[in-house]
Formats: sequence, structure tokens, C-alpha cells
Amino acid sequence: MKLGKILFVFSLVCVSGCLWADGLDPAVLRGSLKDTWPSFNGDYSGRRYSELSQINAENVRSLGLAWTTRANTGETSGATIKATPLVVNGVLYYTVPDHAWAIDARTGRQLWHYKWESKGGIHIGNRGVAIYGNWVYFETPDNHLISLYAKDGSFRWSVEIADLAQEYFSTPAPLVIANHIIVGVGGDSLDVPGYLEARDPETGAVQWHWNTEPRPGEPGSETWPDKDAMEHGGGMTWMPGTYDPELNLLYWGTGNPNPVHAGQGRKGDNLWTCSIVALNPDTGKLAWYFQVSPHDTHDWDAVQTPVLFDAEIKGQKRKLLAQASRNGYFFVLDRTNGKNVLTVPYIDVDWAKGLDALGRPIPDPNHEPKTDGALAAPSAGGGTNWYAPSYDPETRLFYVNSTQSYSVYYLTDTDPKPEGYGGRDSGVWSKDYLKAIDPETGKIRWTHAYPSSGGDSSGLLTTAGKLLFAGDPSDHFIAFDPATGRILWHAGLTASISNGPITYELDGRQYVVAAAGDTLYAFTLPR
Amino acid sequence: MKYKGLSLLVVALLLGGATSPGFSQTAAAAGQTAPAGGQNAPTPAQAGPVKNGAPIPQGTGGPGGTSQVERMQKFLAIGAPPDPAAVERGKNLFVATCGFCHGANAKGGESGPDLIRSVLVLHDENGNQIGPVIHNGRPGKGMPAFPSITEAQISDIAAFLKSRYQAAANRASYEIQNIVTGDAKAGEAYFNGPGKCNTCHSPTGDLAGIAKRLEPDALQSRFLYPRPHGNREAATVSPAALPKVTVTPPNGPAVSGTLEHLDDFNVALRDSSGTYRSWSLEPDSNIKVEVQDPLAEHVALLKKYTNADMHNILAYLETLK
Repeated sequence: MKLGKILFVFSLVCVSGCLWADGLDPAVLRGSLKDTWPSFNGDYSGRRYSELSQINAENVRSLGLAWTTRANTGETSGATIKATPLVVNGVLYYTVPDHAWAIDARTGRQLWHYKWESKGGIHIGNRGVAIYGNWVYFETPDNHLISLYAKDGSFRWSVEIADLAQEYFSTPAPLVIANHIIVGVGGDSLDVPGYLEARDPETGAVQWHWNTEPRPGEPGSETWPDKDAMEHGGGMTWMPGTYDPELNLLYWGTGNPNPVHAGQGRKGDNLWTCSIVALNPDTGKLAWYFQVSPHDTHDWDAVQTPVLFDAEIKGQKRKLLAQASRNGYFFVLDRTNGKNVLTVPYIDVDWAKGLDALGRPIPDPNHEPKTDGALAAPSAGGGTNWYAPSYDPETRLFYVNSTQSYSVYYLTDTDPKPEGYGGRDSGVWSKDYLKAIDPETGKIRWTHAYPSSGGDSSGLLTTAGKLLFAGDPSDHFIAFDPATGRILWHAGLTASISNGPITYELDGRQYVVAAAGDTLYAFTLPR
Repeated sequence: MKYKGLSLLVVALLLGGATSPGFSQTAAAAGQTAPAGGQNAPTPAQAGPVKNGAPIPQGTGGPGGTSQVERMQKFLAIGAPPDPAAVERGKNLFVATCGFCHGANAKGGESGPDLIRSVLVLHDENGNQIGPVIHNGRPGKGMPAFPSITEAQISDIAAFLKSRYQAAANRASYEIQNIVTGDAKAGEAYFNGPGKCNTCHSPTGDLAGIAKRLEPDALQSRFLYPRPHGNREAATVSPAALPKVTVTPPNGPAVSGTLEHLDDFNVALRDSSGTYRSWSLEPDSNIKVEVQDPLAEHVALLKKYTNADMHNILAYLETLK
């Protein structure tokens, strides 16, 4: 009875004329983030910046715990929450592989828990749900897109989006654009081709399907030696992209080519792997692409969030897109046409001979995997990885949790047609840093070297309260001054921050929520 | 115990000739740990080296004593390995019957396609997909029928093909090839010259017999950076390789010991009596923390090595049997 009452109250506070009962009007995704965190990156820009400022640099020292909740899957091994929670109409939705929960965003109290009976697949993580109308969507390790009713978590339908037998597995949070549910896929073990799809929110049917490799005869096919290499070329789409409603362009980062470490069977640039691509979200047609790692052999996919913002470059206001890419370089592009604005390494890298005329790093064959080993920086884990960066329009800085590292890369499969990964990366040494990059110049404005390392690296959040939230490798949740990197507040948790933190305000109270291992922690100010 | 390397207030290097960081018997047994990253998948580095198809035991091994290859197999969810006897029978049959077109290793040949990454084969369960194709052939594509192959034989071929795609998918099982390709003389010259390795190490002292204790790829990892980082176990590292720290509170006295932990908010050490001490590092605490990392020079060298330097040093160390 109590649950029903809560849901009734939620339905009264819904937005946009209450067309969507307890649900989400997709128009909310174009607004600012106040009482809601309606999509993986909050808004479409990927900045992970909130205009909320009740919690701010002046009072953050008194930030305290509001509630915690644990992802109880009923299984013995602990789950790790890598999902960015969504908050819609006072309800917070989050996932771990095969599981989704709805909880009261004010209290952490569980409203419902849904469990998918899995047929298998790699259970490495799940990045969260998408919400459209009255429905929740999430992907599973066995490659199903599940649709649930938001109000009670009951099953609506599921559709298969990739083939488990070919070692595909699915981790992304779907992205909602108008009436499209954009779903990406993953899987590197057996050299399968990547793709991105739009699915119908009502039925799950395919609206469009975009391959991350061309087919023979198509533009881009000249960057592959043959049909077989293209058909086994990888390029997974395993992280959610971003969207510019004015340009009506969907931006997505694509994964590394396959076989991962053995490039001898796929000579050429291997388009459109390791690329940032712009697609028309209504048709899936490619508008432009920029390849950040031509012919990658180091597992450095380019799925890191393509962050959208406008800034002045040489006195001219520009529509920009920036990515701190796994290959150790920071890229700024003109998001209207994909033209390079700047390319600069944000960690020490040694794998490129320089930049070409397009602003792309030129791979140095000396640092590609060898049978007797090649030393290269960074390691396969990269300069950064899936954990979310943030852009603060007040400081005009781009923030990223990064790693300086070295690996020895071994080529193990010398066959002209290698299969699987074809090689191995043996990690030597690494150290973690939080960096603030000025995207207008490429200069590193400040660096915070974490004295410790290990554990997961966290995603980031900036707010108008002049705060940058991050996790360190020693299980701390930290608020930094985004202008200087000074530490303003911290809390010790039970594990390292394992997702991207979010913030929202309900009943005049601002909350900051982050996951550490199997637990969500909500922080707020004392009344 | 979670650090990969420390740069905070590294005020001095232990470069005394008496110390021998890194290469100890116990350190030799330690498994290497890869940097955090990827999608937090077990990496090949964590999975340990494999020679001649059999995993080399890595220290105490993984949880529950499972091998790194098995752990990767579980992580990848590629299923349990098929019965080795069936795989062997299937292999012999495959080579004799199918190998002419599909290649002896099933990777495809002049006229038959690759079967390891075949969608049909990947969907097969104990012959239920490949059986009809073998029995009926594919006349349109030039594949003859093999009506006399029995169900049991098809099951054996299915087991063989499963073992082949499991081997391709399980990157922890990949065999690292010969890596002792360098010039030992040049390595010795680097050791005593630009590398300055002889400042801390001696081929007749701490490094005597090192090549007997470590496989080449493990030895390569160890000399590049002797202290495993990430999920390090203290017992597996030579005490000489551990960072030392001196903590000086505002009202003294200074306390020195082996660094147990350091982050932005806390420093902890174990002093010479084995007692654990820790201090809060509040912004206004005025506690002085001085870390001495005996491996700082190893990190500095990572930027300087060419692949040839690395291979030459390994070739030299391989002479220390």
C-alpha cells in the first residue's frame, strides 16, 4: 500500500504536462539537470556538469551521509556497480550485470528488483539503464535488450541484439534519442564485427544498423586488405555516446580492431575502428569520422566519452568535441565536421612517430607487439578507460582520471591470418593521476598524483558549486577545487568509487550519489 | 598494500651497493600483476606465462588453486574444455578427413573455409549443427558428403573444433615465443654502463643463478620493474624492494620504517620492531612525509630503454645460471 502511495505521489510531480505518467518525456533529455539525471551522462553533452550549487566549495566540508543501499543479487560473489544511476521523478534506477533496481532517490529504499536469467556471456559490468516514457531499458551479458515497466519493474519484452555464441557480450547503457533506443555491443575474443543499432522503444525492432567496418566495395574498404579481415575486424561500441540536438548528430567512440594485438592480417588503417564517428540518429548514416588510432595493435579502443561543449579557439567561437582517448592522446575536434582542432598527449606516450596532416598519431612499428616483446606506453588498459571524464564550463577545463603505465606487448600468433587476440600485454608499472586539461590550448592546467594506486578508477562529476568529485585508488570519495586541484573534502568508503558520480536536488535538498563496489552512497548537507 | 610506485616526496634513492632490491627467491616466485585498467578483465599478464601448453605455476596460484587459464576461461564464459581423449580422436579424424580442404588446424585452406570463427560451428553443440553438414555435404559450395561418418565421430570432431576456438578465445593460454633474442655482451655493457644496474646489483651476488629461478618472460618483467604492483602480496617481495618512509610530526620525533600505505589522507609504516604506526595527513597537520623508493631508478629507466636494450639485458641475465 505504501509503495502504491509513493508511486502515486511521483506521478503527480511528473514533467511536461504529465503525458508520461511515472515516466520520462524524452524532451527532458534536452533540459538542464536539476531534479533529474535522465541519461547515462546526465544530459546529452557528456560533460557530467550539474548547475546545482547547494553543495559548494564553501560548505562541502560538512557534507555527510544521507543513505546507502547495497546491490544484493542473492549470489555469493559481490557485484560491482559500474552503472551511472538514472534519477527520474524521484526514483533512482541502477544495474549490475543481469540485475536492475529502482530505489527511492530520497532514502535508498528499494521499490523493485528485476533479475534476468542469463544464458552466459562475460559478466564484466553494466553501465546502467535508459528510460523512455514509462519504460526502463538495459542490456545483458547474453546480449538481450530488456524493457521493463518503470513503475514496478515487471517484464515487458526482450530482444536479442547480438550472438552470444560468437562471444559478443553487452555492457553499455542504451541511449535514448527521440524515439530511438541506441544500443551498442562488445566482444573481442573471436574477432567479430562491431555495430551500433537503433531499436524501437515500443517493440525492440531494429530501426537502423550501422557497421563499424565497411563491406567490400564501400568507402573505407580500402583501409583493409580483404573481405575476411573486414568481417573479423572488431570495433565494438561498448560505451554510450553523446548527441547534439541542434546538429542532430549522434557521436560515438568505436573499439579497437581485431585480432587485437596481431595486425599482420589487417594491414591498413582499419576504418572505422578506434574512431569517433558522427551519425544521423534517425537513419544511422555516417556524417563524418575521425580515427584516433590508425591500425591499432594495443587494445586502445576509442570508446571514451566524446564530450561536447562550445569554446573559443583563436578568438572564434566553435562547436567542439573532446576525447581523452585510451591511446594517451587528447583530441579536440570541430563537431560540425570532424576536423581536428588539436591533438596532444595527456600522459607520457612513446608509440607514435608524430602526427599526420589530419592530426592523427602515426604508429611507430617499433612499439607494436613483437614475438620477443616490445615496450610501450601506455599499457593495454590505456591512459584512461571507460570511467567518465567531465567538462566544467565555468573553469573551461576537461578533467580525466588517468594512468601512466608501461607494458611489454608480445605477438603470439605469427600466422598470416591470426585469430583471437593474437598477442598479450604484460603490465610492467603504472601510476594514477587526476588531470585538468585546457581544451583550448591542450595544456595540462593541473595534475593531482594519487600517492596510492590499484582498484578501479572512478568517473568524475563537476558542479556549479565549484566542485569536482572523484574517487582515488584508496577507497576515498573526494571533492576537489576544479580550478586548482586542491582537496576540499573526502570520505573513506568500503571500496574504490566504481562508477560515475551523479547529483540531483529533491525537496530543496541536493544529493551526490556514487557507487563503491556493491554499495551506493548518497551524500547531502545537514539540515 | 596498494601502490604501484611512489613519487610523492621521493627525496633519496637507496643506491648503496649493499642493498639488492628486487631479485630474491621469494620475489622470483611472485606472480606479476598488470596495471589496473581495461574493463578490469583478467589480463594475459595476470594470467601468467604458458610454455608448451601447460601453465607454469605462479607462486601460490589463484584462489582455490585454479590456474590462470581456467580463471580466464571462466571469465570469458567460453565453457569447460571438452574431453581431451575426444579432442585427440577428433583431431586425428579431422586431419585425415577434413584437413585437405579446411587445413589441419581448421583455420581454412585452399577450398574450405575457416571453421574456428565459423558461426555455424560456434553454434554447434556436440555435433548437432555440423553433423548434418558433414553427412549431407554442401553440393552448391563444393563440399562433398561424408555419409559414413558415425555420430560418435561427429561428436569427436565437434570436441576438436571446440578446443580450437577455445584456444583462440582464451588469451591466457597463448604461448609466448622465444624472447631471448638479444646480445648478452651488449646487455652486460648496458648493465655496467648507461643502465647503472651495477650500482645496486651484482651478477655474483643478488643476481647469481637468477635465470635458473625465472622463466625468460618472468625475468624480463622482473628486471623491468621488480615489485609487482596492484594486488601485491607483501610476503612475495624482497624487503629491500619495499619503499621506506620517514614521518616527522610537527613536534617530532621522526619515525622511520617500511611504508605500509600512503594516500592523500593517511600514512602508515611498520617500524624495525614490526610495530604498525599511522598518521592522519590533514591539510594543516604539518606532518613531513619522506618516501624513499628503492625502485625509482627502475621506473626512470622505463623511459630510456629501447627494445634492443631490453632484449640485450635479458640475454645477459639469461647467462646467470
